[in-house]
Amino acid sequence: MNESLHVSSQFDEDLGRLRTHVLQMGGLVETQISAAIDAYTTGEVASVKTIVETDRKVNDLEKAIDDDCAHIIAKRQPTASDLRLVLGISKIVTDLERAGDEAKKIAKGVRRIYEAGHMPAQYGVGIRHLAEAALTMVRQALDAFARLDGTLAVSVIRADADVDVEFKSIIRQLITHMMEDPRTITTSIDIISISRAIERIGDHAKNISEQVIFVVEGRDIRHNKEAIK
Amino acid sequence: MQTHDKPQLKAEARNLNFYYGEAKALKNINMPIYDKKVTALIGPSGCGKSTYLRSFNRMHDLYPGNRYEGEIRFFPDNTNLLSSDVDPIEVRMRVGMVFQKPNPFPKTIYENVAYGLRVRGEKNKRVLDEKVETALRGAAIWEEVKDRLQELAPNLSGGQQQRLCIARALATDPELLLFDEPTSALDPIATGAIEELVHELKKRVTILIVTHNMQQAARVSDYTAYMYLGEMIEFGKTDEIFIKPQDKRTEDYITGRMG
Amino acid sequence: MQPMTTEQIRVLIARGKMKDTIFQALGIICLAIGLLVIFLLVGDMLMRGLDRLNIEFFTEFASRRAHQSGILSAWVGTILVMFVTAMAAVPLGVAAGIYLEEYAKRNWVTDIIEINITNLAAVPSIVYGLLALGIFVYTFGFGQSILSAGLTLALLILPIVIVSTREAIRSIPAMIREGSMAVGATRWQTCRYHIIPYAMPGILTGVIIGLARAIGETAPIITIGALTFIAFLPPVPFTATGADGVSAGLFDWVMSPFTVMSIQIFNWTSRPDPAFEINAAAAGFVLMGMVLSMNAIAIYLRYRMRKNIKW
Repeated sequence: MNESLHVSSQFDEDLGRLRTHVLQMGGLVETQISAAIDAYTTGEVASVKTIVETDRKVNDLEKAIDDDCAHIIAKRQPTASDLRLVLGISKIVTDLERAGDEAKKIAKGVRRIYEAGHMPAQYGVGIRHLAEAALTMVRQALDAFARLDGTLAVSVIRADADVDVEFKSIIRQLITHMMEDPRTITTSIDIISISRAIERIGDHAKNISEQVIFVVEGRDIRHNKEAIK
Repeated sequence: MQTHDKPQLKAEARNLNFYYGEAKALKNINMPIYDKKVTALIGPSGCGKSTYLRSFNRMHDLYPGNRYEGEIRFFPDNTNLLSSDVDPIEVRMRVGMVFQKPNPFPKTIYENVAYGLRVRGEKNKRVLDEKVETALRGAAIWEEVKDRLQELAPNLSGGQQQRLCIARALATDPELLLFDEPTSALDPIATGAIEELVHELKKRVTILIVTHNMQQAARVSDYTAYMYLGEMIEFGKTDEIFIKPQDKRTEDYITGRMG
Repeated sequence: MQPMTTEQIRVLIARGKMKDTIFQALGIICLAIGLLVIFLLVGDMLMRGLDRLNIEFFTEFASRRAHQSGILSAWVGTILVMFVTAMAAVPLGVAAGIYLEEYAKRNWVTDIIEINITNLAAVPSIVYGLLALGIFVYTFGFGQSILSAGLTLALLILPIVIVSTREAIRSIPAMIREGSMAVGATRWQTCRYHIIPYAMPGILTGVIIGLARAIGETAPIITIGALTFIAFLPPVPFTATGADGVSAGLFDWVMSPFTVMSIQIFNWTSRPDPAFEINAAAAGFVLMGMVLSMNAIAIYLRYRMRKNIKW
């Protein structure tokens, strides 16, 4: 990635601000996700409200960043690394925003479970582990973006496979439980949707990493399993 | 997307050096020019892109003290355009040129276009009329001037003058057309018209274009070469150069960074 | 630095404009002096010579009696000499100018030629007279004829024609030349279709300036021995002249003895009889008129030609 300065310092500032905003947005989404996980383990339903409020901020940032991207394209006609950065960012923010939405879904699911008075404790460890893994993916994807580190981005993409495996085993577990004891079906469905949301967050982190690789190396590795081997 | 068929070579610079007196202006340039494609030359002022362009029609021969080394092979006949056995006039009859500033002759529109044919000894009025019309149509200016062919060319607008100059070059059916920053003196609308024309022209003629405007290079060309200090730094498909250049110097230049 | 107040800016501008005004006034005064002198000269000649400015003055030969003298042989001679001068100087000068600008390689030989041409323009005209006396009159045996005089003056104005041709060619933008060469034209085609036509107004100006200088020259013409008193005209082609009744050839006139306006004037002013002074003034006025009308034609032609040439 090119770190030398543009002749137009205004352009450098514009791009710098854009990157800061993306990281700021990423920070908010991270908080949403970890707050949602905490709510799941602790049953602190009050934090659900905060998560929903944060989502509004995330949405505003997404719009602001998209707007900035449009302005930079219109005013600067970025090329090469600059073009890839702007294009990458406009896709990264979409994934970040969706990851935030997933966090909101988790929070709402947690609220439903606890309000119905069910304790999801028996699934706690598996879900928590899955969620931690997804959260780490998001964190690392954002780190990879901040440092424009292609290697880290590749490892995030690899990690997604593990999350998928874990997700499938949780689902199998839940199906077994539901068959054994049909009274757990309501709770189980909520938990399925929660783990589905966590798995999605992992997918978004993977997408973000793919964009980081495009920004850094100019390779489009989407839908191409060979590319990261 | 582009078709993936392998393009044919129209010309190829091989170990090309050029000297203005003692000063070496081009350093060991190797570059293909593909048939019926637009190749753009970009680079900062003084990087040698115009010098390189003007080697293709031996324009440097007009001035004393200029010297070429190496070859520019011209296909399909594999002639070396720079060979001292090849008359520069012969080269210019095959390679047309459009200049930075529109330079119509202070003659009528008709005479401007007919000039290249007259130089070749064409006297038949019917042939002249026909070829002038074809050339003006080819340069997308026929509709604007068909009723005023006997008016003086310098009275046209800048953009029209430039298209007239393109018609003048087209009239003699060149195999390669050189454009030396053809839109730098024109407004955006006239520029757009020329770019559109370039796009049309590449169906029948190979085009080599020097431009200061990177966006223009990105818009009109199939291949782009970045030159710096008389060297060819990078040559590649325009799509690749503008999204992922291989050389840091190319990257710095096209993203507007200080090298 | 403090930004200036509006007041200060105005004072500054006023001071600057003051200098403008002073210089303008000075310029007008200088111009007025120059014009005044010319008007006085022409006016003086006109006043003194007015009496003699009639048809007879133009149709009579010179005579010993002042009031019967005319300038017939002088003005006819002047026009014929100028014709020969132009015929010789224009093709030579233009060709030389084109060669030097378009064909000659830049090296020490052309440098020397260039210096020589500039120096030739500064050679006193009497020297040309001496040269012509040796070469045209004696070596080539042209005698004291219109041809000798015309060629002498042609030599005299050749540098002017060459220099103005080169200037006119240089004022043609390089891109026009390149535009022509780029479609595959040869050097000659470029000269023939572009350089010469576009340089024509400038060349013409140079030629007329040269002729205007030549028309007033006296010294070289006297040196080669023009007659001061001549009572016949050169033979008109294809008419019988003299007693033998033989028809004159097309170019016989060029070998004829002659006189020109300047010599006629010189002759009259050197006469003791003050009546001839009046003749001289009148002839001087006519000569002025000839020069001015040549300039007028030049300006008109230049205007006409330049109208169609722009880049």
